[in-house]
Amino acid sequence: MTKPKVASDWLCGCAGCHMSFLDIDERILQVVELVELRATPITDLKEPDKDGVVVGILEGGIANTHNEHVAKRMRERCKILVALGDCAVFGGVPAMRNFFGEEAALKRAYIDAESNDSEGKIPRHPELAELTRVRAVNEVVKVDLHIPGCPPHADVIFYALAELAEGRIPEIKNDMLHWH
Amino acid sequence: MIKLTIDGKTIEVQEGTTVLQAAEEAGLYIPTLCNHPQVTPYGGCRLCMVDIEGARTLQPSCTLPATEGMVVHTQTEKVLNARKFVLTLIFSERNHFCMYCPVSDGDCELQNRAYDENMTHWDLQPNWQPFEVDASHEFIILDNNRCILCRRCTRACDELVGNFTLGFEERGAESLLVADYNVPLGESSCISCGTCVQICPTGSLIDRQSVYQGKETEVEQNIGVCVECSVGCQRNVLTRDNRLVRLEGDWDADFNHGLLCDQGRFLPLEEDRSRLLTPLVRKNGQLRAATWEQALDAIASNMNKGKGLAALASTRLPAEDLVLFNAIFKDGLNSDLVTSLEEGKATASLANLAEKMGKPFESSLDALKDTDAVLVLELDLVDEHQVPGFFIKRQIPAGTNLIVADGKENKLAARARVRLELNAGEEAKFLTNLLAAFDHETDDEGLNRAANILKSANNPCIVYGKTLAENADETALETLLTIAQKLDAALIGVKGEANSMAAAQLGLEKTFEKNGYESVFIALGDDKPSQKLVKRLEDIPFVVVQATYMSQLTGNADVVLPVTMWAEQSGSYLSLDGRLQKIGKALDAPEGILTSNESLLKIAETLSIEPDTDWKTTLLKRVPTVQIQES
Repeated sequence: MTKPKVASDWLCGCAGCHMSFLDIDERILQVVELVELRATPITDLKEPDKDGVVVGILEGGIANTHNEHVAKRMRERCKILVALGDCAVFGGVPAMRNFFGEEAALKRAYIDAESNDSEGKIPRHPELAELTRVRAVNEVVKVDLHIPGCPPHADVIFYALAELAEGRIPEIKNDMLHWH
Repeated sequence: MIKLTIDGKTIEVQEGTTVLQAAEEAGLYIPTLCNHPQVTPYGGCRLCMVDIEGARTLQPSCTLPATEGMVVHTQTEKVLNARKFVLTLIFSERNHFCMYCPVSDGDCELQNRAYDENMTHWDLQPNWQPFEVDASHEFIILDNNRCILCRRCTRACDELVGNFTLGFEERGAESLLVADYNVPLGESSCISCGTCVQICPTGSLIDRQSVYQGKETEVEQNIGVCVECSVGCQRNVLTRDNRLVRLEGDWDADFNHGLLCDQGRFLPLEEDRSRLLTPLVRKNGQLRAATWEQALDAIASNMNKGKGLAALASTRLPAEDLVLFNAIFKDGLNSDLVTSLEEGKATASLANLAEKMGKPFESSLDALKDTDAVLVLELDLVDEHQVPGFFIKRQIPAGTNLIVADGKENKLAARARVRLELNAGEEAKFLTNLLAAFDHETDDEGLNRAANILKSANNPCIVYGKTLAENADETALETLLTIAQKLDAALIGVKGEANSMAAAQLGLEKTFEKNGYESVFIALGDDKPSQKLVKRLEDIPFVVVQATYMSQLTGNADVVLPVTMWAEQSGSYLSLDGRLQKIGKALDAPEGILTSNESLLKIAETLSIEPDTDWKTTLLKRVPTVQIQES
């Protein structure tokens, strides 16, 4: 039997969920026994296989047009899409800017910030992604499994991966259910 | 009785029981948010919806009265889906991003209910409408962004505290929790009792002192009693790593059912006096650090034994300590003067009256919870002894008539139906006139109205303050008693400090005057010494102070013994209405610090005195002004 392929990517997050994934420590050896880890921020492949993976995992909310593109690409190329962590599930800390708007956030960062000199200006270029309202992944693409937490505990991530590898959708509840 | 079936279980309940209460009685759990056992059901959040056979739609169980033959289902798919949907709607309404919130992961009822329903995400995104945060209050932060509009706080402010400060402005999603007519909370009529903070299910009303200091799962709960006045409210002391985190009312407490005032909830955490950490002995004019042995030696060799000795104790000390203090200085040393720092001003005449009558004549504070007319004499229950004031204020909208007689500014008087002038020193005349007004019309219109209100009341109460007890002579007190008997009214006397009543039982009620004392012993504990006391001690040759904190008094003393503060000791307190309650130790004292009790025992040992240790018998010996009840 071939091992199910798993890919992951990060959007507008802090990488903490992937760090928490690495916190499963030596159990990562069990994970690679069970699944085939493909493109992830911790491997060297840049994007999920064109011919698809079984499980796609996304960390982070959707905060710009590039995030949107990455999320849609992952959705297209995976069978089961997992939103990992509070940012992917709810929008998280970056979503705080929604209360003020993108322009106000850019102005605060590039012009008003105390560390800026008087010539601070907002960078704009056709190749730069455009900011959008920060959204949970499920507001942009269909999500099959939500694992909240900031970050989700390594044990929860391990449990979820093990269940997915066995072809089951894990139930995140009781002690494993934490939003922070 | 009404018979109904909930989830297949048939039960009988009293008429007037709600479906939610019936389910609770049957041991069945229905999740709630806006509901709270201490306030009137509101039916606002809709989380408690249940399926009633024959009803067109789901019904909120918290407001729905149980009826005969009703068949209720609490676990149908329709109900479970509705619960999740209700929670989704609440989450989508405002900023409920848990990661920004101090009550997340344990202390938030909204989050806990979502966990109960295994909610891993929201199907609706928030509407991103920000509201201004009100941080103007000294102790409370009001954040409308986290409000779920359950109105527990407004109901608590109205129904429990009777302060009517909190209310809602606007409608629907725009609804805003505001103070008064939308003024900053810190500038409002708020009296900082903190009941709204305690009852808030989310992080919308936050206690500034304890925020981020420890969640419910991380703190230790110590059941105790407030020692800030003679009311004796039950109070939980929350500690973490031997640090005071928060003081909370206990919703299940018989007497104050969760209520505290600012003195009991917030002010003890503002303690900023410097702690005494070692005994001090004056040597060559200078107060220097010493060992306990050296300090006790100094007392043994320099303190007068009996003659020329005055001993005073704070009425904030536990009853056990007061009894021991009395046993050492009165029975053991036969000192010239043994009294309390309050000198029994508010209790002596009452205690004498009880002794003369041979029985108690005052009532329990519970009488105030269900009264239709209250006469308050020379007492501002908004400023002091506030919780009984809450009992009165909250009943005024239901028709309870308040009569305030005072010569000074009195904040309670703003709520009074009748305001009478009673100047200090004129108590006897006032009471005689009032008594006369019960028999016939007098020239004083106010007095006539007051007499009529009291006469036609079913459960009248008379509450009097320390001023009256201090100024009224025996005849005046007897007139007061006659009035109470005539009306069959509950008579309640406010005493002062936490153990003023215990001090009265021990007869610690003599006046401390300049009388040529050569030595004075002060068992101060964590009390604050008055300027008057500091002044009076100035020319006493040898002063011993047993205290928790540095003060001018300890600075002028010859020997200072460092003792514990209220949370570091256990002991008993006798409330103004005779509830004898025990406080457990919640914190460990710094090394080398003794409790007042241990310190007194060391003194007794040094002076070879063997004090009687049966404190309770000693305490209960005198005829009390009010029936003493042990809890």
